[in-house]
Amino acid sequence: MGDILIKAENISKYYRLGLLGSRTLKEDIKNWWNRKSHEDTLPPYISNALSTDHIWALKNINFEVRHGELLGIIGRNGAGKSTLLKIISRITLPTTGHIRGKGRIASLLEVGTGFHGELTGRENIYLNGHIMGMKKQEIEEKFDEIVDFSGVEQFLDTPVKRYSSGMYVRLAFAVAAHLEPEILVIDEVLAVGDADFQRKCIGKMKEVSSQQGRTILFVSHNMEALRNLCSRSIVLNRGEIVDMGEPEAVISRYLKSEKTQYLEQDFPDKATAPGNEYIRIRRVQLLPQYVHDYTIIDIRTPLELQFEFWYESPERGSNLIVGVHLFNFNGECIFDLPSPKYTFNEGLIQGKCTIPGNFLNDGAYYISIVFVKNITQRLFYFESCISFDVEDYRENAGWYGKWVGHVRPNFPLVLSPKSI
Amino acid sequence: MDNKPEWEWEIKPDENWLRLNLREIVQYKDLLFRFVRRDIIASYQQTILGPIWVFLQPFLTTVVYFIIFRKIANIQTADTPPILFYLPGIIIWTYFSDCFTGVMNTFLYNAYIFSKVYFPRVIVPISNVLFHSFRLGIQLVLFLIVYAFFAFRVPQVRPTVFILLLPYLVMLTAGFALGSGLIISVLTAKYRDLDNILQFLLRLFMFATPVVYPVSLVPEQYRYLFWLNPLTAVIETFRSAFFSTTPIQFTELLLSTVTVFLVLLTGLLVFRKREVKIMDVI
Repeated sequence: MGDILIKAENISKYYRLGLLGSRTLKEDIKNWWNRKSHEDTLPPYISNALSTDHIWALKNINFEVRHGELLGIIGRNGAGKSTLLKIISRITLPTTGHIRGKGRIASLLEVGTGFHGELTGRENIYLNGHIMGMKKQEIEEKFDEIVDFSGVEQFLDTPVKRYSSGMYVRLAFAVAAHLEPEILVIDEVLAVGDADFQRKCIGKMKEVSSQQGRTILFVSHNMEALRNLCSRSIVLNRGEIVDMGEPEAVISRYLKSEKTQYLEQDFPDKATAPGNEYIRIRRVQLLPQYVHDYTIIDIRTPLELQFEFWYESPERGSNLIVGVHLFNFNGECIFDLPSPKYTFNEGLIQGKCTIPGNFLNDGAYYISIVFVKNITQRLFYFESCISFDVEDYRENAGWYGKWVGHVRPNFPLVLSPKSI
Repeated sequence: MDNKPEWEWEIKPDENWLRLNLREIVQYKDLLFRFVRRDIIASYQQTILGPIWVFLQPFLTTVVYFIIFRKIANIQTADTPPILFYLPGIIIWTYFSDCFTGVMNTFLYNAYIFSKVYFPRVIVPISNVLFHSFRLGIQLVLFLIVYAFFAFRVPQVRPTVFILLLPYLVMLTAGFALGSGLIISVLTAKYRDLDNILQFLLRLFMFATPVVYPVSLVPEQYRYLFWLNPLTAVIETFRSAFFSTTPIQFTELLLSTVTVFLVLLTGLLVFRKREVKIMDVI
C-alpha cells in the first residue's frame, strides 16, 4: 500500500431545499430581519440546518485513500455520492470538516465540459483539455493519441456543432481519457457512449491505474465495472458511510440490502413522485403473464413491463430515448433495451415492453429505467425500480443442479443421424 | 512508518480572506488565453462582416451622438472636431461597459462549467476583459487613423508626449471594470433582480462620465464629484494627450489610480471569498 493521498475528516454538507437560485433580495432582508428581531441564540448555519427546508447531504464522512488505490463509491440516487465528489473536486465547500491531500486532482463529473459548438474539434480538444487542468505542452504531446482514440480525425477542423452526438461524446471522452493527474475523480460518466466505447474506456482506466499507479475515485451504478476495477468500495446511504471494504463483499452486501420485492410502484402525486424537472415517474409495474393458474414467476413466464411518466418541459426538437436495464443481483447487466427516438410534447407518456418467457435463467433480477435526451444527456435514472425473482422450472431434464448461464433460451437444438 | 504526511492542499468550509492565490492564476494561464481565443473565434463565426463590426460599432455610435448631442442638443466639444472628440469617450466607455457587463455575468453564464470542474474562477472574468481588450485594440487603431487624418489640419489636434500614457489609461479602465464587475457579479449571482436596476444604473453612469461633453462644461462647484469617477480622469487624460486644448490633471489621475486600485483589490478579495460558496445558491 502506498502513502495516504487523501484524508477526509468529518465531512458534512447541508443544502437548503426549495427556492434555490430564485432567491431575491427581499427574501434575504426579511430573513435577516426575522433573525435580528428574534435574536436567535444559535449561529445561523445551525439554526438554518435545523429547520425543515434543509437537508444534510453528507454527515460525518471519514475516509482515506492511498496511492494507487481505485476507490468505488456506491449508493442509491440521493445518497450523497455526487455531493462527495463535488467537495473533493472543489466545486462546492463542505459545511464542516476538511479534506487534506497530496497531488493534482482532475475531476471528470461530465465529459466535454466547456465544449463550444462553434469551435472546431481541434480547438475543443485544447479548450476542454485546459479546462480539465492539462498544460499546453501536455496536450500537444498527446494530441495525436487523443485524435486516434476518438476516431474523428476527418472532422477535426469541423465545428463540433455539426458532429453527431456519438462523435461528440467520443471526442470528449478521448480528451478525458488522456488526463494524467495523480488523482482522478470520476462520476457516472461511463453511462454515455456505446458499449464498444465503454469497454475501451474501462480498459483505459484499468491501464491508467495499474500501470501508471494513479489513484482513482469512481462513482458508478455499474456493479460489474466496480467489481472489476475497484480495490476498495464505500457504500453511502442517506449521506453516511454504511459499509466499506473489499469490493466483492461490499457489493453483494449492498445488493442484498437493496433487495426488496417490488412488482409495482405507483406515484399518484406528481409533487412527491421520484424524478426531477424533466421526468416524473407516475407508475411502474411488472405484469407477469402467468401461463397456468398459479402465480409464481418461473422461467417460462413472459413479463410485461409497463410504465408511465410525466415528461416535463422538453426542449423544442429534442428527442427522448427510454432504456430498460435488466440486472441480476450480482449487478451484472443482462440487457439494455433502448426505445427508438421519440419527440414528444410535455405530458403523460406511457411505455411497455415484454420480456419473453423462456429467456431468463432462474434468479433474482432488478430493472432500472433510464431517460436520455438527444442520445447523450441523461435526464433521469430510475434505479432498481422493479425487482423480482424468477423460479426454476424443468419438465424433462432429469437433472436438478444449478442451471448455469445468464439466459436460458429455449430455441431448438436438434440432433439426427447423418445419412451418407 | 506513519510519519506526519506533508499535505499539499486542504479543502475546508471557509476560504481565507486576504489570500489571493495569484500564483494559481499564473498556473492556469494556458486556460486563460484559450478562453480569450474561444471568445474571439466564437464571436465572429457566422457573422457576414466578421471583425468589421468592431470598427462599425463605434463609428455608428459616433454618428448618432454627433447628431443628437452636437446638432440637436448643441453641447460644445471643447474646440475639437466633434467626431474626434466623441471617439475617445465612446471607445473607452464601450470598453468599460462591455467588460463590466461581461464580468458581472460571470456566474450566470458559466454556472454549467463551474458546477462540473474546478479552476480559479477569476480566470473567466479576466479572460473576458482580455477579450474586450482585443476589440479595444482594433478600435484604437481606427481612432489613430481618423486622428492622423485630422492631425495638424486643425490647430488643436496636436499630439503631446502624454499619448504614451494610453496603455496606462487602458489598464485603469480595465482594472476599474474588473474590480467593480467582480463585486457586482457576486451580488447578481445571488440576487437576480439586481440585474434590472443595474442596466439602468449603468446607462445613468454613462451620462455621469464625460463621454459626450467635456468636464469643463460642468459647473465649477460640482466638478469634484465628476473627478471621483475614475473614468472621468481616463477620458479627460486621453483627450488632453491627443488634443492640446487642456492640460493633463495629474492630481486627478492619481486619485483615479488610487480609486481603481482599491476597487480592484476589493473586487478580487470579495470574489475569492465567495467564488465557491456561491455555487450552492445558483
